[in-house]
Amino acid sequence: MPQVRIVARNFMDMVAALPAAKLDKLYDSSFICEAVLRSLPPLAKKYVLQMLFLDSPLTAKSMEEWVLPDGLSKHKVAIDRLLQLRVFMEVNDRKKEPSYKMNQKFQSNMQKYLTTGGTVPREPMPLNAAVRLPSVGELETYAMEQWECFLLQLINSSQVDKSTSFSSSMMRAFQRGLLNSSRDNEAPRLTENGFQFLLMETNAQLWYIIREYISSAEERGMDPTDLISFLLELSFHTLGEAYSVNTLTEVQRLAIKDLADLGLVKYLQGRKEGLFMPTKLATNLSVSLSDASSRKEGFVVVETNFRMYAYSTSRLHCEILRLFSRIEYQLPNLIVGAITKESLYNAFENGITAEQIVSFLQQNAHPRVAEKMPSVPENVTDQIRLWEADRNRVEMTPSHLYEDFPSKDLFEACCDFARDYGCLLWQDTKKMRLIVKGELHQQMRDFLRGQR
Amino acid sequence: MASAPSKLYQDDVSLVVALLDTNPFFWAAASLPFSEFLHHVIPFINSLLLLNQLNRVVLIATGTSSCGYIFDSGDGNASGNSNAVCSGIIKKLEDFVGKDSKIGKGSNGDGTRPAISSLLSGSLSLALCYIQRIFRSGTRHPQPRILCLQGSPDGPEQYVAVMNSIFSAQRLMIPIDSCIVGAQHSAFLQQASYITGGVYLKPQQLDGLFQFLAAAFATDLHSRNFLRLPKPAGVDFRASCFCHKKTIDMGYVCSVCLSIFCKYHKKCSTCGSEFNQVAPDSTIPDQKH
Repeated sequence: MPQVRIVARNFMDMVAALPAAKLDKLYDSSFICEAVLRSLPPLAKKYVLQMLFLDSPLTAKSMEEWVLPDGLSKHKVAIDRLLQLRVFMEVNDRKKEPSYKMNQKFQSNMQKYLTTGGTVPREPMPLNAAVRLPSVGELETYAMEQWECFLLQLINSSQVDKSTSFSSSMMRAFQRGLLNSSRDNEAPRLTENGFQFLLMETNAQLWYIIREYISSAEERGMDPTDLISFLLELSFHTLGEAYSVNTLTEVQRLAIKDLADLGLVKYLQGRKEGLFMPTKLATNLSVSLSDASSRKEGFVVVETNFRMYAYSTSRLHCEILRLFSRIEYQLPNLIVGAITKESLYNAFENGITAEQIVSFLQQNAHPRVAEKMPSVPENVTDQIRLWEADRNRVEMTPSHLYEDFPSKDLFEACCDFARDYGCLLWQDTKKMRLIVKGELHQQMRDFLRGQR
Repeated sequence: MASAPSKLYQDDVSLVVALLDTNPFFWAAASLPFSEFLHHVIPFINSLLLLNQLNRVVLIATGTSSCGYIFDSGDGNASGNSNAVCSGIIKKLEDFVGKDSKIGKGSNGDGTRPAISSLLSGSLSLALCYIQRIFRSGTRHPQPRILCLQGSPDGPEQYVAVMNSIFSAQRLMIPIDSCIVGAQHSAFLQQASYITGGVYLKPQQLDGLFQFLAAAFATDLHSRNFLRLPKPAGVDFRASCFCHKKTIDMGYVCSVCLSIFCKYHKKCSTCGSEFNQVAPDSTIPDQKH
């Protein structure tokens, strides 16, 4: 079974893929520079700090001396990332040695930030007694509700109470790759990628959806660069403060409605104008840029007897748990299930790996067990991995067996022929037998006929 | 020495407790004026906060007779306009130095001996208590480390207290980094960084202080395993005696509590055990067999 990994491609990959001119324009805004800096791997962050106040370029060799020998691979990764994002630019001097210099705009923005400090992108609205602003807790529940509603609609449109206002073509764009309809009148089924998507953490899922949203933005007449810069700016707003819609550009106003459906902002009607309040999902956007761990409260307790108790009321959680465990009963605030061999085999058939299941359980561990080390009992994790390995014990390949060779030379010639094509599976030199992959059979016959 | 793995947080997140030396006697005679020094330190703090949204920085001022908290980025009011924060820090520092000199004059009576050393042991203890509070606050916490910006010379009378703080830090696996902005090396901080696995640095040029700070002290603990960081050429392991607080190379050690004395005493002042000089061939009753 091919191991297909859904690459929750980092949002930064998309930023890095923008053409050079657009990327440089993005760096005009200091928020984007900050967000990009925060998304870099730790070594790269240090390099940026060190080069921040240097005007002349530094040779690559002298940079390599900053790391110990076993850090060289991380060093390469960091430098590549910096070059991809055009934070470092390569400068070729006369001696033909590569040296690096920082992007001018990036450098000046960051220097300003360090000496005068950061600012907020826009001023929040003054407190107005006429409009009651939701508290931070209410905002969070609103965000989670919207997000779950969206996800449920994504995987199965029939199960939702109220649907979001995304057009069906938008939803289809999101569902591409996650769902496919095997037959026209059947409901679409989740693909392997879809299953893996559900088990990812919220931030990774959010970035996946936003990436799809931005990729399809051009068709709807919105400039992806504007969208990217707006999203990154959004993450620097203060949680719990309301901002006026009048400060947004046309493009941003269109985007706000969609973002409200996803649960990133809450749209309110003020006395004179519309207001929007960023939720925790939005402010965590820049934290999650570099694959940070989730900060949600967990809800799953796994016991050593393979029983699982999930303190959750959300239907989405129930669906996710149903993917790999047998749900026994559902109480008003508790879902009780068991991890069994059958349920896990079912999950493996659908393309979910044991690692994903184990990391899902660990990341969503209930706070009472999260402090324990390990948060999921080892016998459970070991058993999940063993059951997965069960499926890898025997692998079948269609092949052909060749025996009764008249001479050793012919046998050797056949072995070499098969090996050249990479199809030799097994050979027994004493008894002069060999097994070759089935696809080479026709060519092997021609080769043998040619040899005689 | 490996640092304590921070539970459930990305390796990148750190908590830096910076101890600023505000000894007025040192700064009056220093080559780098205090305002210039702050001009390097405050952007460094901004850069630490920039690197990761969840990083936290705490500033503690080390005075001559007292220590105090100046700034905590984890406070609610610390976010927002950074100019206000910066001027807030400066104002708090001025208030602190004023209070500190009043305390100094008060306890010294007629001000006979001006204190040349700052209260390093006090600020180390404050830092360790703060970090312990963070450890107890829950499962998720950043990886802490202590950064000492020291200029005044070591006060041998603080030897015992400083060594106790160093061993507590070692047990909690908190590295102590030191950056010396004064003229001479500090034996205490060399030992501190050596024992706890931190970085000790005495920059040669003080007007490039920000660059030294950013290069050596800005990285989080996990990445330090991969970086080539400055190591001191040799560590000064000399102790100071418990009776006169002089720095000594050879002395007498109590076999019970390991306190160090420069002259022969009949009784140990720390644990009270009596030192009877026993002749080597006198008979001691065997208690076994």
